[in-house]
Amino acid sequence: MSSHATATLDHHNDPTTSTGIPNKKLLMWAFLASDCMFFGTLISTHMIYRLHPPPGNPDPRAVFDIPLTSFSTFILLMSSLMMALAVNAIQKGNVRSMRFSLLTTIFFGLIFLGCQVYEFSHFVHDKGLTISNSILGSTFYTLTGTHGLHVLIGVIWLTAMYFYSFTGRVTEKQAIDVESMGLYWHFVDIVWIVIFTVVYLLEYL
Amino acid sequence: MSQATAPAHPGEHHAEESKFWVYVQIAMLLAVITGVEIVAIGLPFSKWLLVTSLVILSVVKFLFVIFYFMHLRWDKLFCTILFFIGLVLAGGTAWALMLLFGVEDSKPLTYEEAASIAAPADVRFIT
Repeated sequence: MSSHATATLDHHNDPTTSTGIPNKKLLMWAFLASDCMFFGTLISTHMIYRLHPPPGNPDPRAVFDIPLTSFSTFILLMSSLMMALAVNAIQKGNVRSMRFSLLTTIFFGLIFLGCQVYEFSHFVHDKGLTISNSILGSTFYTLTGTHGLHVLIGVIWLTAMYFYSFTGRVTEKQAIDVESMGLYWHFVDIVWIVIFTVVYLLEYL
Repeated sequence: MSQATAPAHPGEHHAEESKFWVYVQIAMLLAVITGVEIVAIGLPFSKWLLVTSLVILSVVKFLFVIFYFMHLRWDKLFCTILFFIGLVLAGGTAWALMLLFGVEDSKPLTYEEAASIAAPADVRFIT
């Protein structure tokens, strides 16, 4: 779409709704608010059991691999950048640029998932931490596994959007569809920001 | 859905154009903050100082992502309020639970401690 059209589109307001906010965006923000509470309880549960670890609980510092987790964190941050650029591109009507950014986001998302699969496998087989043999394992795998599931759903959504864009139905006027997906992806990123600090880094103090 | 209306503020088109570099700069800043966090855990400072620093750095990263990458800075205030309702409820729940389980009486007893407490005659420990 031409750059002229860009100047006439307002992607942040929708005067046809009673709130002035596009309905899809409002729906996504409401969902993310509820997901905040979901992750809030999971993180709280992990922290409670870390406050009073039962006897025989493994030492997280002997289990965690900070360099790998740091790399995963960096990858997820970069995927957020590419997602923001994808939204920026479609808001300007640049579908090709959006596709490239989506593809890069998918790639980074898959790297993150690969790192998590490797981490889980390493913890189970080499460190002996399973979901059922300690409270640390139960809360850790439940929390990070749920986050990983969110990433997987995001990757599937991104992939579907990537292929859907070839039908010609993803245009500047439908930018809200990409933006809603972007909100979800960034949310996954901010949850990881909290998990990285609370679950991993604080253990080393 | 996006509407064919004029931008709400003068110069908004220019702001849209310059967002690309804003995003890139923020991503670089987030990467640097993450690096600082990783280095910080190895520094020989007091625990409370490091915990406070890590929490502040995480909050800064969190706010940059939601206000810039998630566009809350440019969207209507209601989106921010809606999200912060969930955030405050989640944070409040976490805070309350940490207080509740942080007190001395919430510490789980070891088997020896439990066994040393005089139990009523009709209570038996199952081994």
